[in-house]
Amino acid sequence: MIKLTIDGKKVAAEEGGTILDAANQAGIRIPTLCSHESLRPAGACRVCTVEIATNGAKSLTTACDYPVEAGLKVSTTSEKVMEARRLAVELLLAQRPHSSKLQELARKLGVKQPRFVLAEQECILCQLCVRTCQEIVDVEAITFVAQGKDRGVAEPTVVHSLDKCIGCDACAYVCPTESITVTDIGDTRTINTPSGKLEFKLKQCQVCGKYWAPEKQLDYIIEKWHLEPELFATCPDCRD
Amino acid sequence: MNRVVFSSWGGNIVDNRRKTAGYTPVENLEFPLEHNGHRVRAFMSWWGLVVVDEKINVADMTHAYLKEVQKLSCGECSVGYLGIRVMLDTLTRILGGKGTENDIALLRWLGNGIKANTKCDFCALALTPVLDSLKYYEGKYTKIKAAQKSLAKPAYLTRITAPCMEACPAHQDAPGYIELINNRRYEEALALIRQTNCLPGTMGRACFAFCEENCTRQDIDKPVSIRALKRVPADYEVTAALEPEAKVKKAGGDKVAVIGAGPAGLAASYNLALKGYRVTIYDEQPSVGGMAWVGIPAFRLPRNVLGREVDIIKKLGIDVRLNTRVGKDITLEQLLKQGFKAVFIATGAHAGRELGIEVEGGGVVDGVEFLRDVNMGQKVAVKKRVIIVGGGNVAVDCARTCLRLGFKEVIILYRRSRAEMPAREEEIEAAEAEGAKIHYLAAPVKALTEGGKVTGVECIRMKLGEPDDSGRRSPIPIEGSEFTVGTDMIIPAIGEKPDLSLIEGKSIDTTKWGTIVVDAPTGQTSLPAVFAGGDCVSGPATLVEAIAAGNKAARGIDRYLKSGRATPPEEQVVEDWLHDVALNHQRDGNIVAKKERQSPEQLPIVKRKLGFDEVEQCLTLEMAAKEAERCLRCYRVMLLAVDGKK
Repeated sequence: MIKLTIDGKKVAAEEGGTILDAANQAGIRIPTLCSHESLRPAGACRVCTVEIATNGAKSLTTACDYPVEAGLKVSTTSEKVMEARRLAVELLLAQRPHSSKLQELARKLGVKQPRFVLAEQECILCQLCVRTCQEIVDVEAITFVAQGKDRGVAEPTVVHSLDKCIGCDACAYVCPTESITVTDIGDTRTINTPSGKLEFKLKQCQVCGKYWAPEKQLDYIIEKWHLEPELFATCPDCRD
Repeated sequence: MNRVVFSSWGGNIVDNRRKTAGYTPVENLEFPLEHNGHRVRAFMSWWGLVVVDEKINVADMTHAYLKEVQKLSCGECSVGYLGIRVMLDTLTRILGGKGTENDIALLRWLGNGIKANTKCDFCALALTPVLDSLKYYEGKYTKIKAAQKSLAKPAYLTRITAPCMEACPAHQDAPGYIELINNRRYEEALALIRQTNCLPGTMGRACFAFCEENCTRQDIDKPVSIRALKRVPADYEVTAALEPEAKVKKAGGDKVAVIGAGPAGLAASYNLALKGYRVTIYDEQPSVGGMAWVGIPAFRLPRNVLGREVDIIKKLGIDVRLNTRVGKDITLEQLLKQGFKAVFIATGAHAGRELGIEVEGGGVVDGVEFLRDVNMGQKVAVKKRVIIVGGGNVAVDCARTCLRLGFKEVIILYRRSRAEMPAREEEIEAAEAEGAKIHYLAAPVKALTEGGKVTGVECIRMKLGEPDDSGRRSPIPIEGSEFTVGTDMIIPAIGEKPDLSLIEGKSIDTTKWGTIVVDAPTGQTSLPAVFAGGDCVSGPATLVEAIAAGNKAARGIDRYLKSGRATPPEEQVVEDWLHDVALNHQRDGNIVAKKERQSPEQLPIVKRKLGFDEVEQCLTLEMAAKEAERCLRCYRVMLLAVDGKK
């Protein structure tokens, strides 16, 4: 176990864990947005910012991706921390003023109307969808396109690959800003993504006739787990 | 005389503006204020703001600088990406005369806030001079009036580099392809690598990786495994059975002859072919690849890897004439008469230097020759014991090759100590792990023979004296310390030199070291239509230096054939101008967590001696993503304000 101090409280944390894990264990709440307990941290949204002091140096960092170190002193509520969180949320809210999740975060942190205007973008580049698709779905249909030297990319974005996407909707589920949405109408599932619309044919249940899952997703599951296709002839509701 | 009006270079504030008397010079500038006909009026970079001409509109310059920074702001974190965007919008508004009272305060608040809390260091460090300009030149922002806008606008020259990029002779965009690997965009990563390096898989294995020696990450833990990362997209292309896309711009250009199919010749050919030139390569060897083929053993660089990359280059329509030695089978004059408008000489350095000791009889084989024989599949006699003389990669490759061939005892004799050994540390460690012994501070005096065969070497102990021209401490023999070592074979591997017989009697200048003289930025020799690069110019050097020379010469030849003069492009002028600016240091960095360096799997020692199977494996995609995350993205944006064109 690693011993560190969070907000003056002595905390023992498991080696390899993050400040966020340690704080959660100790019952200290740090606000988060792009963090998810089942996914690798991204450090993208900067909402979980804390202040750390180690070996005489002091700076801000994100709790979600900074590993616990012996003797580390962490402050989760200093004025510097609150100011940094407010800056991150004010920027995010300026880009996506209509997100209820961001509005709630802003209210909690005391951020009112952003002092600046950005062209509204639904996607706030938190990469939850990218990581979910890679680590949970294990498909890697979504990649992040960053700006870079001589890249000529107008704006960073996330891109769905129609070739790889199986239409599972996990990305829409984790998206905090309704930038990815899914609608099932008749035998078609439509996924709206920042890089465009994807359509998938849905499978019909042999018993009740309901369209219940994308055929491509079922094919993927059958192949990945070496299952019998007959298993998926009926929807879960109509199985014994 | 150029006097600096204001400087925050490196955080040292020198302000000569309000001084009524005296002048404080700025001591620590690392670049000249004038270069190649340009004069600095002001300079802005992560390391500070320097103003020479007080009439310069610092606000306008900051805007131009921030625009460049914004293009590199990746989007991986909200604060950096959105924050810089808002700052740029605000600055644009101020310059348009629509600034509000609160704007300066907002810019400062944003600037300091971003600096303190970004995911990587790029945006944070890049804002340093912006904050300096807001602090020391606030008046330029608040008094935007018509009068100020009418001032003659300077021209801005930009240079974007990074410590790793600058250390690489070919200036490969390592942060760029590492970021693409991190985001699993392997094909784009590979396309980016190919812009400056036409042999990604080869170099992902055999590069000296100067980049890693200059990686900022070393200050925290260990450098990023840049070389191993480069291999990842290259191997991905092979395993995913992808074909690279190469677009030749309007084929049918002038004919260019390239002499030597090594890395320099290949790099020049690749770039010239992409530009539409009709390239013919001549090489005396029966295979393409030069020293990469004949000099690097297969356990470091499998032949199919190099072969595939050579095929990709050849597919651009390059005509390859093997087993043809220019100077013997065909002369330089004949080539020029045959309609080649330019010739690139890249014949390398293949002639081994002589040991300078007396040897009678057999049992002595030059290192380069030995490797060439083994690598070309010729049978070599396997002896019990071999002594290899030298401390470079050829010596170490010879040792590792001998161990695989079945030599029982392999001894490297090096006249200096381990610290001076020019071979790559990883290679030396591997050779030792495989069973080679290294005797340091020992040099051969003479070979001992019996019945026409080598039986041993008389050696002498050395000590280290003062540093010589190469900067390494020079070895001095210790009198009376002679000793003998028995051996069946001696392999001298003490360096190679170019064979310049093909230009003998031509009006092409050479140095006293037997290398060709060229104009460094373009590779042009004293004979205008003839260019040269690689080991025949530099003396024995590395693959990446050869590739860089090939890239440069291709640009030089292109400009020569288009305009009649091989002048360096503007970006190269700026590059040379700012080359001495140390890129590693930084003002006010944040704490970065340690992350373990990912190292590729190595073939177990017991398996290595069974043959020439590749020792180092490729990083897995998971490991590669983890390693790529360690990159701090130390891009440095430098903006020069110079006099605009009149």
